[in-house]
Amino acid sequence: MTVAIGGSPVIRVRGLTKRYGDVQAVAGVDFDVAPREIFGLLGPNGAGKTTTVEILEGLRAPDGGEVSVLGVDVSRGADALKPRIGVSLQTAALYPKLTVTEVIDLFRSFYARSRPAAELIEALDLGERRNAQTRVLSGGQRQRLAVALALVNDPELVFLDEPTTGLDPAARRSLWDLVLGLKASGRTVLLTTHYMEEAEVLCDRLAIMDHGRILEMGTVDELISKRFHERAVRFDRLEELSVDELQALPEVVSVKADAREVLLYTRDVAATIGALLDLTEQRGLEPKNLAIRRATLEDVFLDLTGRALRD
Amino acid sequence: MTALFALTVANIKSYVRDRAALFWTLAFPLIFIFMFGFIFQGGGGSELNLGWVDADGTPASTQLRDAFTASGAVKLVETSEDDALAQMRNGKVDSIIVVQKGYGATVAAGAAGTGGAPAAITVYTDPSRSNLTASVYQVVGSVLGVVNLGGRPPIVVPEAKTIQTENLNFISYFVPSMLGLSVMQVGIFAAIPLVADREKLILKRLAATPLRRWQLVGSNVLMRLLIALVQAVIIVGVGVLAFGVHITGSLPLVVGFVALGSMAFLALGYVVASFAGTEDSANGMTSVIQFPMMFLSGTFFPIDQMPDVLRTIARIIPLTYLSDALRQVMVGGAAFAPLWLCAVVLVGWLVACFGVAAVKFRWQ
Repeated sequence: MTVAIGGSPVIRVRGLTKRYGDVQAVAGVDFDVAPREIFGLLGPNGAGKTTTVEILEGLRAPDGGEVSVLGVDVSRGADALKPRIGVSLQTAALYPKLTVTEVIDLFRSFYARSRPAAELIEALDLGERRNAQTRVLSGGQRQRLAVALALVNDPELVFLDEPTTGLDPAARRSLWDLVLGLKASGRTVLLTTHYMEEAEVLCDRLAIMDHGRILEMGTVDELISKRFHERAVRFDRLEELSVDELQALPEVVSVKADAREVLLYTRDVAATIGALLDLTEQRGLEPKNLAIRRATLEDVFLDLTGRALRD
Repeated sequence: MTALFALTVANIKSYVRDRAALFWTLAFPLIFIFMFGFIFQGGGGSELNLGWVDADGTPASTQLRDAFTASGAVKLVETSEDDALAQMRNGKVDSIIVVQKGYGATVAAGAAGTGGAPAAITVYTDPSRSNLTASVYQVVGSVLGVVNLGGRPPIVVPEAKTIQTENLNFISYFVPSMLGLSVMQVGIFAAIPLVADREKLILKRLAATPLRRWQLVGSNVLMRLLIALVQAVIIVGVGVLAFGVHITGSLPLVVGFVALGSMAFLALGYVVASFAGTEDSANGMTSVIQFPMMFLSGTFFPIDQMPDVLRTIARIIPLTYLSDALRQVMVGGAAFAPLWLCAVVLVGWLVACFGVAAVKFRWQ
């Protein structure tokens, strides 16, 4: 496996733009991905993540900007790139009437160099389903097969587009282990997701995207500590307490409130909670599900876009 | 090359495991053939229509005529030889028996034991209608057996003559037409899985591998050619074995036209896939194309009897030429267009459709 030397980026994107009719899907995106890094594009549906990834994979032509992957200019040399990358698309419905082994062998035939099917089946824990037609696989098995197909050619760089969408928590965790394993074996991974937890667990660095732009980029810690030195006190929304009243509590920096919950960002948790409990007791109220937590990526996204990132 | 063959094998496996597709390509034409075959076969017991030409006009020839009538297996149509031949060519009579002048005298001499050669009656049959020919000779044999009274040497012998009738019996006409129809369906129906693969992003996923587009198209062509040939074997086999259709022409030429037709209709399938956004719309478009072709290509209704507008359409659509060519080659059917023209029209459609698809087909 040839890896870019001296940490020069595996992926380099500058000024990338792409428009579909009236929709500016990607509106000027810049980022680098270093070797052996798991890099995440995080954002809601329609943020431009998939378009960005498909341009990197050579599946779409950009309108503008420079894109270099593994040292290859994608707009000119996509064919040279394809044997070296692995791709898992967002919806992976592959040959419903073929078995797992047959689909893997089919994809192996596309590459000059490939890993044995048995090895991939073993690695992705598909042994029990090796002779099952892909249409009868569960969502998790189907995603694992999609990842197996992305690894058929032993690629240096793996693209995973929303690899865990629609999976139950157990299947999601098993796929996370798999992705961490890819990094451990020296590969670079670019993944897209709209799950905060997934980004926090997997990504060395990530870019938060919305409306075709990168809003913020860095490690999870960087992204959080850049905005939130405070901790957050959360409780279920009490209609009787106005946002102004909450803002006036001691040490509160900012308040986020929606129909379900209230978040008080504070420099001094004890002072704020004491004052909150006094206030609620005076009114004969009780804050339910009161909790203290550190700010999360969810808070970062909320702060950046003014809305929550949910399915 | 490995990718091309692996993909072809994968396509064939997917196809064979899809029972609905299998039914439409293999069982459907057979059901048609059996249905029409039995309807028009009219159950073996029906009478033969025999043209009866009596050039002799003696009591002996009248006696022979009565012997045929008495057999109960034939219906005689008494007429002149020219008229009888005309009637046979256009299918009104199945066979003709001509009693030559001098028959009475020869029979009389034979019966008296003073004659030389036995008297001959001429029997016209069409060799492409082998079932019918066998039936005719069966009747002739049994009648002459009575007339000859087992005498040796026989007094009357049949003299075989053949003519080519223009009007094939229905099943001989229908089998090559059905083959043409099936080839059309195999080609056009390729649009549906193609659009489905695009919808399910399979084409996009393949585009992310080093697989080339020509390999993708090539595997599709190979697979469809194979299906068309398997269909041809089944349809022709059933026609020959179950309905006694007599294949007169060159087998390589049949295979050549099946292959050319498959390619032309596959190209048309790619045109459909170029304009259909979803599997459902591909389904609709294939129906819109295949039903008029089915009915205007001369398979079910003769083209000569169509109104002008429909006849013009029939002259344009490729299925007319494919079925016509197959009928000419396989059973010696009357030509709507010369074979070379059929080939040229099919190649023309192939090139035109390929051109449109090359410009309009979207992979994602």
